[in-house]
Amino acid sequence: MAARVEITDICKAYGRLKVIDGWDLTIGQGERMAVLGPSGAGKTTFLRMVAGLEQPDAGKIRLSSTKTAFVFQEPRLIPWRTVRDNLRFVNPSADVSAILQQLRLAGFEDYMPAQLSGGMQQRVNLARALIINPDLLILDEAFTSLDLPFKLTLIQDLLEHWHKQRFTMLMVTHDLKEALYLADRILVLSAAPARILHDFAIRLDEHRSFSDPELLRHESELLDLMTEEINHRSQ
Amino acid sequence: MKSSFRFLIGIGLFLLFWEICARWIMPGIILPELGIVGREMLRLLSDTAVYQAALQTLWKVLLALGLVLVLGIVLGLLLGLSTAFYQMMRPIIMIIQAVPVVSWLSLVIFAWGIGWKGPIFIAFLSLLPMALLTTVSGVSNLDRKLLEMARVYQVPRGRVIRDIYLGSLIPFIVAIVDVSIGQTWKVILVAEYLCGSSGLGVDILSARYYVNIPRVYALTLLAVILGLITERLIKLWLGRVSQRWQPA
Repeated sequence: MAARVEITDICKAYGRLKVIDGWDLTIGQGERMAVLGPSGAGKTTFLRMVAGLEQPDAGKIRLSSTKTAFVFQEPRLIPWRTVRDNLRFVNPSADVSAILQQLRLAGFEDYMPAQLSGGMQQRVNLARALIINPDLLILDEAFTSLDLPFKLTLIQDLLEHWHKQRFTMLMVTHDLKEALYLADRILVLSAAPARILHDFAIRLDEHRSFSDPELLRHESELLDLMTEEINHRSQ
Repeated sequence: MKSSFRFLIGIGLFLLFWEICARWIMPGIILPELGIVGREMLRLLSDTAVYQAALQTLWKVLLALGLVLVLGIVLGLLLGLSTAFYQMMRPIIMIIQAVPVVSWLSLVIFAWGIGWKGPIFIAFLSLLPMALLTTVSGVSNLDRKLLEMARVYQVPRGRVIRDIYLGSLIPFIVAIVDVSIGQTWKVILVAEYLCGSSGLGVDILSARYYVNIPRVYALTLLAVILGLITERLIKLWLGRVSQRWQPA
């Protein structure tokens, strides 16, 4: 069952540097939320706190399920284990071949991570997340380092899985189009100490196209909002 | 081919240097000529008692090495996992490391007299701190990002230790074996010499007692050859075992 995430007045600082300042937020079951913001706005810190890798200094994060998967920016595969063993590491009873087939990695079961390209390693990273049938999937700039064809197919594959399983998704990205294509809610953050500037609902069809005029309209709207924020900060 | 040829040249040069020293620089009792040592070696090899002595030393070496590896790695892993435990145990490890072998020898002779336990105990205590500290440093060097990944996916501790810790520790375990094999041979021989009841160390003591210097050299040579063979065999075995944890 997809997870519901309730965030109540969380704050986080590293020494004197306050990165997150009083966020209140609820992510509904099966919702897909993208977080956009300038570098250093605490986006990754936020994801890490939701995943339980860090604790907020104040406030609370409540998850209705603890079955969380995290697609890290770098693949974090165990170098001395094959692709199959890397997936079995998180779920020993799973059908590895099926998930590899779905993610276009069939035949690479016995490869070592070093024998795969960066894009394929990232595919394995996603396969490892999906193989546990997560209730909450967190993606931290998961597609940033990929070239465009690889990125598009991986995003398609991810969406296919989401349509089947309807898990809750929380992602950080710098790519506005990627956010609009994947999410149905976008948070726009200010610079550190980050506050939530806009909580933007995307009213688009679930099956989207990058050339959809509505998507492009949302893109320009979001760009305007972000430019406004930059202008406001520089005054 | 070239490297083995150079290796043989190295051995040849060493033997030539030995012969020159034996004939002209320090002739007589201290350094016998190669021919004399060679004849003594042949005599040794035709004596079954020497094989028994070599076996006696060999099993002590293997037992001490096994104990150092198993306890060193398991305890080192526990120390590496808990900073508090490591801080508590560190003074004890430092003390064990600093105690001279002769002090252990005296204690061992008091406790067990002359026998097989002493050499094993002394070799074990001499090498344990190195194995412990190397393992701890291996644990502290492992990739925290992999551990974070395991934490997010709630992977059970046993699987994390088997798949992440052990894999990261393999180079350190190889290093422990690398340093330990030669050292174990040396320490066991010295301990046998001083408090043993059988083994090559005891034979060297007896040869020295009868001022049979060529025999001392022949026994030493035999110990060196056996040490090198053991080292090579153990490394081969370890290489095969550790292949499971090798990146491509």
